[in-house]
Amino acid sequence: MNGTAHTLIQMPAGVQCFVGEEARVRRAVEEQVVSVFEGWDFQEIIPPLFDYADVFASADLTPRTYSFVGRDGSLLALRPDFTSLLAKIAAGRLAGSPLPLRLYYSGEVLRYEPPRAGRRSELYQMGLEHLGGEPRAADCEVLAVAAECLERLGVNGWVLALGHVGVFNGILAGAPLEEAQWLALRDRVESKDEEGVAEAARAARLSPTVSAALVGLTGLTGDPRVLDKAEDALRGFAPALAAVSELRSVVAALDEAGLRGRLAVDLGEVRGLDYYTGLVFRAYAPGLGSEVGGGGRYDALLARFGRPLPAVGFMLGLDRLALLLERQGVFAPAVPPAPEPVGGAALGSDLARARGLREKGRRVRFGAGPETAR
Amino acid sequence: MSLTLALSKGRLLAGAQALFRRAGLPFPQDEGRRLVVTLDGVRFLFVKDADVPTYVEYGTADCGIAGRDVLLESGSDVYEPLDLGFGQCRMVVAGLSGGSRRESIPALGPQGLTPLSGCAPEPPSAADYRRSSTVRVASKYPRVAAAHFRARGLSAEVVRLAGSVELAPALGLADCIVDVVETGRTLSENGLRVLEEVAACSARLVVNPASFHARRADLAGLIEQLRQARA
Repeated sequence: MNGTAHTLIQMPAGVQCFVGEEARVRRAVEEQVVSVFEGWDFQEIIPPLFDYADVFASADLTPRTYSFVGRDGSLLALRPDFTSLLAKIAAGRLAGSPLPLRLYYSGEVLRYEPPRAGRRSELYQMGLEHLGGEPRAADCEVLAVAAECLERLGVNGWVLALGHVGVFNGILAGAPLEEAQWLALRDRVESKDEEGVAEAARAARLSPTVSAALVGLTGLTGDPRVLDKAEDALRGFAPALAAVSELRSVVAALDEAGLRGRLAVDLGEVRGLDYYTGLVFRAYAPGLGSEVGGGGRYDALLARFGRPLPAVGFMLGLDRLALLLERQGVFAPAVPPAPEPVGGAALGSDLARARGLREKGRRVRFGAGPETAR
Repeated sequence: MSLTLALSKGRLLAGAQALFRRAGLPFPQDEGRRLVVTLDGVRFLFVKDADVPTYVEYGTADCGIAGRDVLLESGSDVYEPLDLGFGQCRMVVAGLSGGSRRESIPALGPQGLTPLSGCAPEPPSAADYRRSSTVRVASKYPRVAAAHFRARGLSAEVVRLAGSVELAPALGLADCIVDVVETGRTLSENGLRVLEEVAACSARLVVNPASFHARRADLAGLIEQLRQARA
């Protein structure tokens, strides 16, 4: 595992290379997803590949960011995500633009990640951000766009699992917790480990009511009807109930819009709590062990850049999506026609003939003789 | 598509079999050396116990049964909705009963092998660790061991071993070990005593998050049956 000893054709850990058919599938998937984004009137942003490191400052990403020092001594970073960049652009170059802003992106982000279960250093993300809109309508719109992407690609059995960070936070509002205790509770809730949550709650000396509500979160998952159960279980926690009622209105609207059966509720979804401020969701489908994408509401981020705006967004991982589609065997982009061979002894006139065919839009393979291996 | 369940043929097999029987669920019997057995529409994978979380995290198996010790070490991104109650043991830090400094035990002598009166843990003797600038810990659980000492503000050098970890302190390979104990007999036979408990462990049902949501109809029933049948 020597960090420097390698042959020149060796690939560094965490990067990938796509050839021919693989690349064609990825381009076709991207094209479909982007056409859905365009269809909902989102406009593309092609942001820079690197920016000042403090643009990306988040507790979660900082340790995984590739940063370097620029010629002028400033600390720069290869983009580890798009959202911060789009927020910066919305507050900077697009300052004063009419709201809501609907922006999308498609490209690579770079993160220092130990490769495992679909995690790579180089990730291709396609996503959008809805900034400055009426929150409930924007939440629903973004979920509908996510749903359409999965529909259009023909993914089988996909589900959007919805949660709300206000449930967990609302139960713990006012509880005096040390950070380590809070993290332990979150970790056990995330794992849906009843006994583990109870144990962590005991260790943090939480009241029996708070403890019982947190333990209850591990089971408040599944069909959207669990929201009824949640209302009973969370009585006495006003902020948590407010979050449940927000979710309920989102679910009702999506139900009516024809997405019944595609929705699940997961009130134990507590990842990304330091970033999200409301709705959170993840897209799952059988065949891939992890989510294909996800998103949520992040009303605090834009204020960092001086343009406080409510915001919601989501992204799909192209790497995971391509793997899922391959495993489900459902997405087959059009196969290009076989090329017409053009070639012989007369180089000039052959080239002229090839150019003529190309002008008519035909596919050619130029050159005489069979292919050889060397 | 049938459900796939990852199990190990190790320590937890008998408990898993009893649990499934109580729940009225099929369970392979006399499967011999076969590693994949399909029974009544459920596919059972028999893998090494430390690999169960991996199969489940990648979604190769929808769910599985793994010890909490293995889960703590793997740090896998899986749901753990049920404590199944069997396979109980403790993950502990253990050191030589005559003091945890290896210099005090010149060789594997009778003193080091004297069985202890039980192995009731005395108050954690963190002072023992602090006598050296770096604690050397032998373990099959290097991640757990490293995290445990780091959280206490101690620097630890973790020696990764695949088995017979109990030998390491007496032979001077390490100051202490992090390992699981059921009865404590192996520890005392090797002149070790429990210094600190790291975690209480038992068998857990682990579920892949994508399967949990996207195959809810198939999995919810299984989880509920196991919940009712657990000890």
